[in-house]
Amino acid sequence: MSDRSQLISTGEPFQFDKKRDAEFERLAKRYPTRESMILPALWLTQEQEGWVSQEAIAYIADRIGTFASKVYEAATFYTMYNLHPMGKYHICVCRTLSCWLRGKQEIVDYLRDEVGITPGNQTEDGRFSLEEVECLGHCGTAPVVQINGEFYENMDVEKLKSLLATLK
Amino acid sequence: MADKIKLFVNGEEVEVEAGKNLIDAVGAVGIEIPHLCYHPALGADGNCRMCLVGIEDGRPPLVPACKTRAQEGMKVLLDAKHIKKIQRDVMELELINHPIDCPVCDQAGECKLQDYYMSYDQAESRMTVAPVKKNKKMDFGGGVVHDQERCIICGRCVRFLRQITKTGELGIINRTDVARVNIFPGRPINNRYGINVVDLCPVGAMTSSDFRFKQRVWFLKKALSVCHGCSKGCNLTIDHNKEKNKDDIIYRFRPRLNEQVNGYFICDEGRLSYKLENEDRLTTPKIGTVERDLTDVLASCKNEIEMSTNVTILLSPNASLEQMVAVKALAGKLNASISGFSDGYIITGDGDDYLIQDDKAANRKGLELLGIDTSQQGFEQAIAEADLLINFGNNLGLSYGADALKTLLTDTKTIACATHDSEYLAGAKLTIAVRSYSEYDGCVVNCDNILQKFNKAVTKNNELPTICEIAAEFGGPLTSPAEIFAELQQAAPALKPYQPATIPAEGLNLNDSEAANVTA
Repeated sequence: MSDRSQLISTGEPFQFDKKRDAEFERLAKRYPTRESMILPALWLTQEQEGWVSQEAIAYIADRIGTFASKVYEAATFYTMYNLHPMGKYHICVCRTLSCWLRGKQEIVDYLRDEVGITPGNQTEDGRFSLEEVECLGHCGTAPVVQINGEFYENMDVEKLKSLLATLK
Repeated sequence: MADKIKLFVNGEEVEVEAGKNLIDAVGAVGIEIPHLCYHPALGADGNCRMCLVGIEDGRPPLVPACKTRAQEGMKVLLDAKHIKKIQRDVMELELINHPIDCPVCDQAGECKLQDYYMSYDQAESRMTVAPVKKNKKMDFGGGVVHDQERCIICGRCVRFLRQITKTGELGIINRTDVARVNIFPGRPINNRYGINVVDLCPVGAMTSSDFRFKQRVWFLKKALSVCHGCSKGCNLTIDHNKEKNKDDIIYRFRPRLNEQVNGYFICDEGRLSYKLENEDRLTTPKIGTVERDLTDVLASCKNEIEMSTNVTILLSPNASLEQMVAVKALAGKLNASISGFSDGYIITGDGDDYLIQDDKAANRKGLELLGIDTSQQGFEQAIAEADLLINFGNNLGLSYGADALKTLLTDTKTIACATHDSEYLAGAKLTIAVRSYSEYDGCVVNCDNILQKFNKAVTKNNELPTICEIAAEFGGPLTSPAEIFAELQQAAPALKPYQPATIPAEGLNLNDSEAANVTA
């Protein structure tokens, strides 16, 4: 785990779009306390922007009515919240035991050699970004790749190649 | 008194108070259970694991003492091999990334990590990898400077700002060994109690920008005092030191536990009010604006008093009860009217519902206790008839503007005893520099009618007279501390069973005694 305390400021105020706004209010009714909305609100932000900025954290804290430090804590604790801009397609390759044994390294090597991204970085055109993540819970169908939240199971280099070709 | 229960620590029977957790219960009878994250004001968090103890009743081999309530017949194990090992192991974990920069650390000498290393660890580091690098000097605002590398992530500061001040500026960011305490960017510590996190921090991670690098703590002499910053009367430890060839100087105020007054904390204004004791002090007596010997000034004062026909005496609401008694006796002798008018000390709306009070005077209740009038009308009536005003430390500049004061005192000469130079002294004919509250013993009564004793901390090279001594010089009948205290006991019957040295440390609640009738 690396230091995630450096937030990126966009310099522009953040707010939920109409759809996320409605979703926020719908979810808020589900929980006994408003503080429970910290994690869902961070997800909504990530869904909307692809990542979570400093302004977004402040917005969420004020919207929920909690301390900004609490949202900051949650956003830095969970590595699945992206604290910097990601590629249009964010590729997560599982690197935990089953996926590693079943060939995740070939996939990562292919992405490095043919697509030109290493874990933690993105392509120059901003189309793809890559991250190696811990267990995604699909060990039975390893190796597994997750692209923008969608799971692709039993992956190999050939399958990935044709999959990436469909992502423009 | 709370119920007592009996339990066993290392096989020995001890009697402790019921209803407390193990740390507090056996701590009160002098048995230490080491702990870093637990603080009685913040509750048990259970994150540091330093307080793990064994309880021989079939529960898991180790339980955190902070989360375990003391119970009758409990068999607590503290010195067993496996407990010693766990303490050493926890210390080793805490020290993996700790910089051990004690020689330059402000906390050295009052650091729990240092103390516990000596008591529970004493092992050499087995680490061969470099410690995690973090920020060494972060300005958190509010006078707090943070060193992330020294931090052991006990979360006391975070909990204090969330539970007590409810401002929540700090959070624990990241996790694992890169976890650190931080503010959210652009939202620094911004409340009136923020510097308490420096006291709470068991290590040197939180330092006060005011005290940082000023003194090594083992050089500081300690004196028990009471804050005179407002009428709450929070209990203080005054840390002062007289360096060679220099004057005795106060380096910091620290809060001192008093459950019925301030608990464990004080406000930042009160904490930093020690500066007023060091700086801008009036040190020489004056005739007009000319500095003169005390004997000359006193002689002139006595002369003025003799020549005057009608004297008004004004008392400061910050004076101690002893001083009030002595001055009141002087007023009786001189047949003078006495007032404690000091409305200017009250800043309406400045107080909060925690410690800070509107009334910035430490002993207004003392004036009430002694039946000294504090009304503006009473004071102005007296002044209108008087040709001499003897002002014992009351800063009239707070209650009147410069012009209004000039008009008020047109036909009245002023003898002023003061601790600090200030504008209202400009019109005084005679000025006597007197000691401030860190330089004498005394008692004050706080806003909740609790009488508290405070001790002399500082002895200046040039020691000034006290107001009691001046009152005696002016012909006051009470000349010795014993006489003054005997007179004080008449006014405050609650004091009767006590001597100055035996007044309880937690103070005397005058509401509980018949003294309440006197103030009513």
